[in-house]
Formats: sequence, structure tokens, C-alpha cells
Amino acid sequence: MTESLIWVNEDGINPEHKMFRDYPDAPRVYIFDVSYLQQWRISHHRLQFIYESLLEIPHISIYKGETVAVLDSLLQEYNVREVITTATPNHIITGWQDEILKQADLVTYPQIYPVQDSSSPRRFARYWRQSDRFWLTP
Amino acid sequence: MQQLKTDFTSREDMAAYIQQEFPFLESPGGLSPYLGGRKAGLARLEEFKIEQYGKERNFLNGEVSRLSPYISRGCLELEEVRQWALQHPLSKSVESFVSELAWRGFFHLVYQEEGTGILADLEPPKVSLGKHQITLPEDIARGETGLPSMDTLIGMLRETGYLHNHARMYLASYVVHFRKVSWRSGADWMYALLIDGDFASNHLSWQWVASTFSNKPYIFNRENLERYGGAVLPGDPRQGDPFDASYEALAERLFGGEYRPEPRRSSGNYQ
Ligand SMILES: Cc1cc2nc3c(=O)[nH]c(=O)nc-3n(C[C@H](O)[C@H](O)[C@H](O)COP(=O)(O)OP(=O)(O)OC[C@H]3O[C@@H](n4cnc5c(N)ncnc54)[C@H](O)[C@@H]3O)c2cc1C
Repeated sequence: MTESLIWVNEDGINPEHKMFRDYPDAPRVYIFDVSYLQQWRISHHRLQFIYESLLEIPHISIYKGETVAVLDSLLQEYNVREVITTATPNHIITGWQDEILKQADLVTYPQIYPVQDSSSPRRFARYWRQSDRFWLTP
Repeated sequence: MQQLKTDFTSREDMAAYIQQEFPFLESPGGLSPYLGGRKAGLARLEEFKIEQYGKERNFLNGEVSRLSPYISRGCLELEEVRQWALQHPLSKSVESFVSELAWRGFFHLVYQEEGTGILADLEPPKVSLGKHQITLPEDIARGETGLPSMDTLIGMLRETGYLHNHARMYLASYVVHFRKVSWRSGADWMYALLIDGDFASNHLSWQWVASTFSNKPYIFNRENLERYGGAVLPGDPRQGDPFDASYEALAERLFGGEYRPEPRRSSGNYQ
């Protein structure tokens, strides 16, 4: 029985991502959110690039609809209560993640940065002075 | 909820299917040269000549990685690109490239902190922006401004879904400061068309150009455009050329003395 569902978002389309190895049996899904595409007038080129990228993920199922509603149906269909995904600061995606959390557990793989800052110094020159050595160290 | 096809015979076949399923999408016809996927991203990384980057990155025909679609969509992780860069002997060029990757980290940090706050002015503007038009003029959207240089950049953006960093800066400055359009309208428009569209890097860069996330407005003149873009862009008519002036004269015309540039300005570098 599968216990988790991998939900790929547009900021994390990497077939070699660790989450696919950690959850090898989990179904993998992507949802093209029609309201988002329409509201932000996303171009054909962006959508095609995402689509082409998704096709490198074996056994991916791609849906069209409203993200949260589709995920809700899939949670029921697969009878799972855990959603696996990747972190992004994108407020639209984090908004969906917050909604999903009402229905299921959410495991979010963090983005990796050489510095884990808690607050930004508001000017890049200052940021770079504070953190260049971390960025420039392998 | 509808499940979409995953078997296609070609990119053209996929494009036609997308058109049928998402008829509302803005489409210039034709395919973008940017093929999606991690494999294509890795191939591009392989071709990128990082040692030329430092000297050439500001030129529209200079060596830049063109990895942003792959990084923004997550096909390549920022961290793996950084590690790849640091495998090269550390030079000014490698350092310059890594510092550009850090711009992305910096913008994401601000976005993480501000959330949707980045969609509005983060700071008071340093020049008046209050009367700016809030809808993007049609001639800009269509790439029919009558200025061959700007129309070429808009055409590249629409036809490929990518623009060089300096080109994005020129276009944003043209829209906000020369055409007096609100940065938010310009940012939303560019976000929609870019394959690498990313609220942090895009909207905060527009704010940087506008001066609501920087200490001064970003403007360019004819000399700068010719120097960095001359090999790629067609010339503009000399009569009524909006860019043909010194920075001092341009600032006076555009901002009426609210902002006075220092006598010698650097190139198109962020500061
Ligand atoms: C008005 C405007 C809008 C922009 N919108 C976006 C956007 O929506 N998405 C986006 O990814 N970048 C955006 N940028 C930043 C930058 O222009 C692009 O990341 C860069 O041009 C991509 O080309 P490249 O991959 O060849 O960059 P390279 O110069 O080869 O740099 C390597 C990588 O570093 C990162 N990077 C480089 N420069 C910047 C920068 N100034 N800010 C943030 N990250 C940077 C990108 O991930 C890029 O792929 C914008 C810049 C401006 C001025």
C-alpha cells in the first residue's frame, strides 16, 4: 500500500531529487493550476518548458484543474494522508501548501543554500560582504 | 479534474496539445529554443565557458550561462551549480558568477521575509513614481514602440521566454522611467513571459530599477546601449532618440532634479 503522494511544484522539477529516492513507491503528480495560469497570464513557453521538464520524471501523472481540489481528490483516491513536496518562497505555492496541511501531513524538502540566514540586510552589497566566504567555499 | 497526456511524438505535437488544452495562454507561435528538463540543463552547464563570464557578462552577446530557466524551475539546484562553479580554479570570473547566484539567494531571502509584501513598494521611491500609468501600454506589450532597440528586446522576450540580464534592466528602465508606467505592471508582464519567471528575482529587480528597493533609479543612455548591446540591437532613429543624452541631462529630463547622478557612472552592474 502507498502511504504518501509526491506533489511536484513548478519551482522544483528535478527527476533526481532526493524525495523520489526516499519515497520510491509514492505516486508522483503535478497539477497545472488553471486559475493561476489565467490570473498571471503565464505564457505558452513557460508552460511547455514545465511540461517538457515533467516528462523526465518516470511515471508522473499530470493534471489540469484547481490545485487544492485536485490534490484533495487524489488523497482520497490513493487513500493517503501524507504529501511530499519541495520548499519554495513562492507565495502562491505556499498558499496551496497551507491549504493541503488542513487535510494531510506535509513533508517539505528545503532548498539548499550555503548560508542559512534569518534576516536579510536589504542591500546586496551588504549581504555579499557578510556571506561571500560561505558562498565561495565549496 | 482532468489527467493530461504524457506521450508526444515531438515538441510541436506537445505545443499543439497545450494550445488545445490551454487556449487562453499567450503564444507567439513557434517553439522556444529552451528545451525543458534536467538533461538539457546539464548539457547547457557543460557548454558554459565560466572563465569568459567575468569580462563578458554585461554584453548582450557575451558569455552568460542561460541557466535561469533550469534553475528557476528547479531542474538544476542552485547549490549544485555553485558547486560546479567552485570546481574551477577560483578567479575573478568564477567569483563573479557565484556572486550572481548569490543575488538569487539574496532575493529569495527578502521574499521569504516579506511574502506578498514584495508585490508593493518596499521603500519610498527616490524619485516621484506616484503618477505612473498602472496599465501597460499596448505598444509595449506588442513590441511596437517604434524604437527598434526596445522592440527587438520585447520580441526576444516573447519569442524565446528568456532575456539577458542587461536586456531586462534596459527594458524595465524604459518601461518605468522613460514611459512612466508603474513598476508593478511591468513586473507582472515580464513575470508572465519569462520561462524563469520568479517573483523574488523579477519583482525585486523591477523595484531595484524603480528605486523602491535601491538608493537610486536605474537609467541608461545611448552610449551604454551601444556599448553593451550594439552587436545585437538595431540602431534607433536619431531624431527624437529618448536615450541620446548624458546621464545628467537624462536625469534632469526624467526626474526634474529629484535625482542627480554622479558624474561617472559605472556600467550596467547592480550595486
Ligand atoms: C527586470 C529584471 C527581471 C528579472 N526577472 C527574473 C526572473 O523572473 N527570474 C530569474 O531567475 N531572474 C530574473 N532576473 C535576474 C537575471 O536577469 C536573470 O537571472 C539572468 O539574466 C538569467 O540569465 P543567465 O542564466 O544567463 O544568468 P547568469 O548571468 O549566467 O547567472 C547565473 C544564474 O545566477 C542567477 N542570477 C544571475 N543574475 C541574477 C540576478 N540579477 N538576480 C537574481 N538571480 C540572478 C540566475 O539563477 C542565473 O541563472 C531579472 C532581472 C531583471 C533586471
